[in-house]
Amino acid sequence: MKNYALIIGIVIIIMLSCIAIFAPLLSPYDPAAINQDSLLLSPSSQHPLGTDSLGRDLLSRIIYGARISLSVGLVAVGIATLIGLLVGSLSGFYVGLLDLILMRLVDVMLCFPTFYLILAVTAIAGPSVFNIMLIIGLTSWMGVARLVRAEILSLKEREFIQAAQAIGATHSRIILRHHIPNALTPVLVNATLGVSAAILIESGLSFLGLGVQPPTASWGNILIESKSTLGVAWWITVFPGLSILITILGFNMLAEGLKKEIG
Amino acid sequence: MITYLAKRLIAIIPLLLGITLISFFVIRLAPGKPVMLQQSLNPKISLEEIKRLEKLEGLDKPLFTQYKNWLWNMLRFNFGRSIGDGRLVIDKIMERLPVTLTINILSLFFLFLFAIPIGVKAAVKANTAFDHITTLVTFLFFAAPTFWLALLGMQLFCIQLKWLPISGITSLDFEYLSWWGKLVDLSRHLILPVIVSSIGGIAGLSRYMRSSMLEALSQPYIYTARSKGLSEKQVVYKHALRNALLPLVTIVGLSIPGLLGGSIIFESIFSIPGIGRLFYEAAMMRDINLIMAEVVLVALLTMMGNLIADISYAYVDPRIRYKK
Amino acid sequence: MDSLLSIKNLKVGFSQEEKTVEVVRGVNLDIGHNESLVLAGESGSGKSIMSLAITKILPANARIIAGEVYFGGKDLLKLDEEALVDIRGSSIAYIFQEPSSFLNPVYTIGSQISEAIMLHQHKSREGAGFAALELLQQVRIDDSERIFRSYPHQLSGGMNQRAFIAMSLACKPKLLIADEPTTSLDVTIEVEILQLLMQLKMELGFSLLFITHNLSIAKRIADRVSIMHQGKIVEEGSCAEIFSSPKHFHTKELIQAYEKIGRL
Repeated sequence: MKNYALIIGIVIIIMLSCIAIFAPLLSPYDPAAINQDSLLLSPSSQHPLGTDSLGRDLLSRIIYGARISLSVGLVAVGIATLIGLLVGSLSGFYVGLLDLILMRLVDVMLCFPTFYLILAVTAIAGPSVFNIMLIIGLTSWMGVARLVRAEILSLKEREFIQAAQAIGATHSRIILRHHIPNALTPVLVNATLGVSAAILIESGLSFLGLGVQPPTASWGNILIESKSTLGVAWWITVFPGLSILITILGFNMLAEGLKKEIG
Repeated sequence: MITYLAKRLIAIIPLLLGITLISFFVIRLAPGKPVMLQQSLNPKISLEEIKRLEKLEGLDKPLFTQYKNWLWNMLRFNFGRSIGDGRLVIDKIMERLPVTLTINILSLFFLFLFAIPIGVKAAVKANTAFDHITTLVTFLFFAAPTFWLALLGMQLFCIQLKWLPISGITSLDFEYLSWWGKLVDLSRHLILPVIVSSIGGIAGLSRYMRSSMLEALSQPYIYTARSKGLSEKQVVYKHALRNALLPLVTIVGLSIPGLLGGSIIFESIFSIPGIGRLFYEAAMMRDINLIMAEVVLVALLTMMGNLIADISYAYVDPRIRYKK
Repeated sequence: MDSLLSIKNLKVGFSQEEKTVEVVRGVNLDIGHNESLVLAGESGSGKSIMSLAITKILPANARIIAGEVYFGGKDLLKLDEEALVDIRGSSIAYIFQEPSSFLNPVYTIGSQISEAIMLHQHKSREGAGFAALELLQQVRIDDSERIFRSYPHQLSGGMNQRAFIAMSLACKPKLLIADEPTTSLDVTIEVEILQLLMQLKMELGFSLLFITHNLSIAKRIADRVSIMHQGKIVEEGSCAEIFSSPKHFHTKELIQAYEKIGRL
């Protein structure tokens, strides 16, 4: 049975990455170029996805939006995974009081609906792409931490760790060489899903006006206009949303596919 | 089970402490002094005004003292005044809380109503056309951003078809309607928000139900049930389902933060006067007292939700309820 | 010879990817009335699958490729589900290896036994409950009321197995198929359960198909023995014959395996 999920996921992500990397080459217009003559045009050969209320070409904005989404997703998840790996490893390996405190911290963090916390901090610290990446990362590490800790605790029982200790390997070596690589598999799946979650959060934030600020294009902030142009310009609603949908679908399928292959 | 309960209840205390600590320090430590934010909204404010405000809000004291004061106040339900309109924060929250709770509870209800049958059927008919189609559809709905679905829904049902009202929870003439009329009016306003907020959850939960059901159907006691002469229906619904439903109780607990967080966006889209929209407005206004109060509140709600879920689980699973 | 159960050329396989792997490769087996037959063989010889195939309660990826199973004058493999549901539990019953796993953890012992009774006999819930209590006493459980209200996880393996036996014998089946029922039990409990089975067999009058990888059990309970190896019956005979003059190499292997440990 072919792993369709994996294939679809990889294809979508490669496409997305190409769009993001080659944005300047692919984008027909400057995404920030305001044009009073082309306000709210429906899709045509000149503007395949239409224009927005400031006359900016939607296709270009969506192409550049891919850059934002992808970078926010990857960096945020990168931060979250690093923190999670650190916390989980320390907890799992050293157990005792450190473990207790760290796991309590995880429990507390999990009590916060992340969007509330993220929104609160972005409102106060100011919305910027970097802030968003950081705060999403700082609120999404808990799942990874628990996973890593569980993996380490179970791996500790297994033979080859005991064997490594028998030949006198030091603590940090054991963690680096043995524990972490084995715990990585579920972490990878988790990270993939984390990217789609991060992208979703970023678009939500941008949609509320507290994320990526215009004129920088983000799929979320393009949708801001959608509220006021609902009956009038369907393309402003449909295309950015569709982009988000396909991207998230891609990462979710990748995660499913990975689970089937490895897990 | 009593020991389990007791342990669980005692564990709440450090959690509460942690919640208040993190709420306070994360928000205070974010770059930018809160009063400076007021300044950014009102550039004409003078230096003396800022100093006066700071003193009023107790912001000139050391951070830890501020925390103690805030905590002490909080325990007496005094969250201070909203910087926006000067009203008591607690009042503003209380008048909006019921709306959000109602919508979220209704969403939970729909969540179970649809996710369970879909998941069970997908498991029983695993690898058939039904299963493949539902898998595809659930993946799609799961990947679609809720606020986008809300916008699409509004476009279709409110603007093009004109079946449903576009915003708020009541019509302008609500006061003059009969009891039944009020109910219908409320329903018409709530139906789209509730469905939109639960769709993602239904997609996710039905996947979970499916795998839980498949797990249950692969257990040894299923052979026993069949060997006794139970019909396939009885095997599935009496023996497998009961076991498959158990973990779902905890899943409900885990969905609560998601539901609450989602409220922010779609309450804003649908102009629903709930705590989500209140929070959004507070965020835009940099209304620090309101922001902090809500963060603590939703964390508390989440924690309570988890507690209820855990207790329910301990009650329904005989292996925990009756220890050896 | 008038057999109770007559299996002819039974072939069962598992579907893997595109192929079907045969695990039961043409089995012929006869069990007479009130007879006790021990089916012995190593793990993986296909014994369990064959026993499940008799009443068609196979796992989803297994299928019956060929053969007939005659019981009460009919070929069970050709009956539809409705007819089979009548036979399962009432004419042919099973007991399995690990009673704690094979009992549903969320229902009490009593309700699971009552369920079996209500399925095939027209009794009310109350009446079934009383009948269940009696059955528990029949399997030599003194504290029947407490066990009735208990959940499987609260009881020991031996106790669960007794309760399971009570449940299986509730409708007085003519054939009891026991798939390694004592393998996961302590040796002392194992002996008790075997004795219990023999006593009940005498009291109620049923045939016993006892599946095991421990051939020495046959000495205690078998009238006849069949040896299964890699999906086929390789030797059969009366208990005495098998032990005094084993012919197939696998039979000899099985005998030697347990003589070394000196079991039972």
